[in-house]
Amino acid sequence: MNPAESAAICQEFLDSVYTIPHGEKIKECIQCGTCSASCPSSAAMEYGPREIIASLRAGMLDKVLSSNTVWLCVSCYSCTVRCPAAIPFTDVMYELKRIQTEKKVSKDTGPTVMAKSFVAVVDKYGRNHETELLRKYFFQTNPFDGIRNIPLALRLIYRKRFHLRPRKIKGLTALKKMMSAIDNHRKEQP
Amino acid sequence: MNNDKKIGVYVCHCGTNISHTVAVDEVVAHAKTLPDVEVAREYKYMCSEPGQELIKKDISEQGLNRVVVASCSPLMHEGTFRKTCESAGLNRFLFQMANIREHCSWVHNDKADATKKAKHLVGAAVGRVGFHKPMELREAPVRPETLVVGAGIAGIEAALRIADSGKTVYLVEKEPSIGGHMAQFDKTFPTLDCAACILTPKMGMVAQHPNIKLFSYSEVEAVSGYVGNFKVKVRRKARYVNEKKCTGCGECTSVCPVQTRSQFEENLSFRKAIYRSFPQAVPNTFLIDKKGRAPCRAACPAGVHTQGYIALIADKKYTEAAELLRKDMPLPSVCGRVCYHPCEDKCERANLDDSIAICALKRFVADWALNQKIEVKPLPVIKKEKVAVVGSGPAGLACANELIRRGYCVDVFEAAEKAGGMLRYGIPAYRLPEEVLDKELAYLQNIGIGIHTNQKVASVESLKSKGYSAVFLSLGAQGGMQLKISGDTSRGVIDALEFLRSVKSGSLKQCKGTVVIIGGGNSAMDAARTALRLGAKEVKVIYRRSRAEMPAHDLEIEEAVKEGVTFEYLAAPTKIVSKDGQVRSLICQRMKLGEPDASGRRKPIAIEGTEFETPAEMMVTAIGQVPLLEKMAPSLKMTPSGWIETDPITLETTEQGVFAGGDVVTGPSTVVDAFAAGKRAAESIDRYLAGSDMRLGRDQLPSVAGAPDISKTPLAKRAEPARLDDATSKASFAEVISTLTEAQAITEAKRCLACGVCSECLECLMKCEAAAIDHNQLDEIVEVNVGTVVIATGFESFNARKMARYGYGKLKNVLTALEFERLSHASGPTGGEILTVDGKTPQSVAIIHCVGSRDENHQLSCSRVCCMYSLKFAHLVKEKTGAEVYNLYIDMRTPGKGYEEFYRRLLSEDVHFIRGKCSEITDLAETPKEKGKLFVHCEDTLLGVKRRIPVDMVILATALKASSTAPEIAKQFSLSCVQDGFFLEKHPKLAPVEVATDGIYLAGACQGPKDIPDSVAQGAAAAACALSLMDRGKVIIEPITSHIDAKLCSGCQVCVQSCPYEAIVYRAEENRSEVIEELCKGCGTCVAGCPSGAANQNHFERNQIYAELEGVLKRHTAKIGVKQSSGFGSDQKGKQTQPTYQDQAL
Repeated sequence: MNPAESAAICQEFLDSVYTIPHGEKIKECIQCGTCSASCPSSAAMEYGPREIIASLRAGMLDKVLSSNTVWLCVSCYSCTVRCPAAIPFTDVMYELKRIQTEKKVSKDTGPTVMAKSFVAVVDKYGRNHETELLRKYFFQTNPFDGIRNIPLALRLIYRKRFHLRPRKIKGLTALKKMMSAIDNHRKEQP
Repeated sequence: MNNDKKIGVYVCHCGTNISHTVAVDEVVAHAKTLPDVEVAREYKYMCSEPGQELIKKDISEQGLNRVVVASCSPLMHEGTFRKTCESAGLNRFLFQMANIREHCSWVHNDKADATKKAKHLVGAAVGRVGFHKPMELREAPVRPETLVVGAGIAGIEAALRIADSGKTVYLVEKEPSIGGHMAQFDKTFPTLDCAACILTPKMGMVAQHPNIKLFSYSEVEAVSGYVGNFKVKVRRKARYVNEKKCTGCGECTSVCPVQTRSQFEENLSFRKAIYRSFPQAVPNTFLIDKKGRAPCRAACPAGVHTQGYIALIADKKYTEAAELLRKDMPLPSVCGRVCYHPCEDKCERANLDDSIAICALKRFVADWALNQKIEVKPLPVIKKEKVAVVGSGPAGLACANELIRRGYCVDVFEAAEKAGGMLRYGIPAYRLPEEVLDKELAYLQNIGIGIHTNQKVASVESLKSKGYSAVFLSLGAQGGMQLKISGDTSRGVIDALEFLRSVKSGSLKQCKGTVVIIGGGNSAMDAARTALRLGAKEVKVIYRRSRAEMPAHDLEIEEAVKEGVTFEYLAAPTKIVSKDGQVRSLICQRMKLGEPDASGRRKPIAIEGTEFETPAEMMVTAIGQVPLLEKMAPSLKMTPSGWIETDPITLETTEQGVFAGGDVVTGPSTVVDAFAAGKRAAESIDRYLAGSDMRLGRDQLPSVAGAPDISKTPLAKRAEPARLDDATSKASFAEVISTLTEAQAITEAKRCLACGVCSECLECLMKCEAAAIDHNQLDEIVEVNVGTVVIATGFESFNARKMARYGYGKLKNVLTALEFERLSHASGPTGGEILTVDGKTPQSVAIIHCVGSRDENHQLSCSRVCCMYSLKFAHLVKEKTGAEVYNLYIDMRTPGKGYEEFYRRLLSEDVHFIRGKCSEITDLAETPKEKGKLFVHCEDTLLGVKRRIPVDMVILATALKASSTAPEIAKQFSLSCVQDGFFLEKHPKLAPVEVATDGIYLAGACQGPKDIPDSVAQGAAAAACALSLMDRGKVIIEPITSHIDAKLCSGCQVCVQSCPYEAIVYRAEENRSEVIEELCKGCGTCVAGCPSGAANQNHFERNQIYAELEGVLKRHTAKIGVKQSSGFGSDQKGKQTQPTYQDQAL
């Protein structure tokens, strides 16, 4: 990605962050590292929360977007609760996920596939259907892994933790209407 | 008159401060259109020399007689321009300022709107200035005394500077010693000289300075007046030690039994209840920590020093404890057996586990004393008056005990064969063995109380004729109430008191068959249990209400039930059936409960046709007691039921010099109530004989101590005395409950939470050779008049508990900065050794910066000193222990002389600096080796790596926050506070120690976090400001005062009441009020309050205000060239925009 594109992404990202309540606080980050130190998954992240803000300031957000970072956030809100600059960082993380999905900056990895499959299943039935979710996930990532896990799946089905047939929510049509309305609304926004 | 006005308008650009947002040329053009405006000009800087010259020139050349300057806030330059006018020969009050910077350009973005608003503001000023009148300035004297509030290093510095110039300083400090936080510090950065070494000489100078009047342990109560003459009320909190007499020898602490945590040592070590903050304290006076009367003592009717004897027992000082008890009550061993201990019901410990066994402890120590073979000497008689006590029950003996200790000769007269009254004849031996009573009576006789038995007193007159100056009647209620039903004279029907008396005297030795007891009081229980012991086959208590209404004490009922007494509730006897004059059975009727009666208990109502018969060989009636009285004096007034009438406070009877108390006044009551009555009467008799006011101060209740902190107190079981088993107990008259053992007593006494802190055991009183201790000292209010005030109230440390993730208060070895200062201090709890809680030298220590500061959740500001003191801590730890030290910082801030050098020095000392804020501290060990360590988590932001550092100790660099007293002080002295709570200075750069109110100055950390050098500098600066004002000796006061039009005044005096400066007096002869100009501050309250419009204020007269309002609200036609916008009132016709404030107003 060239510097101009990179800067554009940074600006687009910032603009969307500002729409979050207290999102503008991101400008006041003092780089103390409380967020990264509090984050239960930051050790596995290529860039911790503090480094995301530093990259953003340096105009190098594309590096973050092509990393695994955002998909490792478990939404525990520790960073948000502890941040001395009161930055709602977990919410910022959601914006990052969205922008990464929309821009297709990174190639699909395990976490992205899992997230996308989950959304697809929920869109379809209005709730999760574990069997279909895992079928989609393993099919796109490592089908052999899926086969290896069949005995476990059978045990789960036997214990009624997994269901072969999906269960739908009541009013699924209404939910779909709502979701598409939200999508359209976002597309209309500049 | 109108034609005479010539107004000049000058609009300032203020560089670009104004002109950037306001079209100055348009404002000038607009001004020119306003009536009476002779000239209007603009200039880049009106306040500059050429700007002012412009005005002067116009005044002299064009003959201007009014001037308006539209520029900044009048706070900034009103004085400047008034002087300009004055130097050109124009009265300074013929000037008006329009604020188009702070009120306009700085707060608006839209140029068109801002310009429009500026025009309105100028219009208002022009309108107003036309009505201005020339006035002359006033002068007021400035008193040459200063009040300095707070005696930390800043306050000390200010006080010494002012005092050295010969002026008087009143130095008020809320803590017992001066010195503030600096007195707690070990070393000071960056020079590492010892804080005490540089502070204590200054503290000593304060103590010795002839011009400093030190009010330590005092607080400002109220402030009135104004610059030059403030009236300040100072509350000198009671130290309970006379400052003038105390020599500071410290002997008192050696006898004080109460230990409590030392606040000066940050609760790391203990001190006594009588204490001095630290050995170098100034003043070198001890004080007693009293949180109020302990709840147990407050609950005791006789006001016994419960916490006192408990503390002494815990300290194994039994002799002293017993002596304290005996001063409070005549028969402590008896009381320890029979009291219903209301004290234990109020014991705060009950909120934790179980109340303290206060009564059992009293019995333990009183018994211990009775068993000592010490010769008791009579107490000296120092008063010439003799007092007679009639009746030797608890009330009489309490009165005698109290009076003999006050030096009176007391004689007790008893009609019966033996002394003790109801205690001897009314309480069975299994509750109170007779030998205990005998031993106690012997003790009372030994201290000099004359007890004369077999002496029935016929009349008060006979006593008076024998030379007794006062008489106390405590005759008790000896008669039993009659049942008054048919058959009540049968053999076998006996009154409870008579029954108990016969058993005691030995005339009744046996009971047979079924014994029925009528009644539900304590006497009924005593009779029931006694009957059991005399061999009754069955004992049945018949009571007309239910268990809940029974007046007998719960404990007594439980004991009776345990021993096998049966109860028949809601039944009343109607007839006694007898054969040959001997009772055979009893006819009873069932009852139900109706509405509550006068006693608050539900009234029993008989149910017709529910009679039943109960066989009974004997029947004991215990339905109430009556006094057996003959009239002892002609004018002695009795109540209709036969009790003596007394004054409730003094216990005086209607006969002069005769007092009465106990059951004979109140009806049957408890022993401790009788003691209380005896003591109360003794106090009255003492006052009566001394001829002083018998009521003064006696109806006031003492303040009761609040709940103590029980968060750290471990649970502990209440001591239970050994007791006979139920089978043995009901077979004999042996005492059922025994005394606590010594070991039990000590453990139990140590459970006491010391609610009042000082236990009032009065040991210190006896130890103090200088006689400096006064447990009854009261707070004192001192009023001082001063010309100036210096506020130096300092800071408070951030409460680290608020950052729960650092575990302060939960994890061991997590310290705050002040705790570490004490730990490292040579005279601290460890003598300067840095040790963990387990007494080990730490191998590794982490110092966490910015705890509570630079944090939106707590305090946004940087505390300025934490980086530097953290470096100092790192150095001290390294120097004293050689431990690995980790400093976790966000940014290192070392601005100050020698500070950066100190940082470099620490870097060279191999201290680890990690850039990253600590996210949490845990004690979660991952391997057995790690056990006992603390783990500091952070991101090393320079590496981008998460770290988990095992350490032995963590020091939290806690923020400096505004003192919690700041809002109160701000209110008293009319100061403003910034968001963090620190006081707001007049100007952050140019007037850092002044405030908006003249004559009041700030010094030190109350204005914002600062280190010692800065605090000292501010102290000196505040002193210089105060001195310059006092040296001038006068202040200029604007003549903006109010005045009352005598013709309009109706004399309603609303103004008199509303004036906060007491500047208005009412002249009754003329029926009008008048303003005393010297006292008037020009606040305008009277003007607003006056219903007839008679009150008016110079420079704020009605026509001036109306003209200003008209100017501000006047609709102006839009000028060409500036785009109209809808925000600030549009004049475009047809297209109606949103209503603006003008539209609404006009």
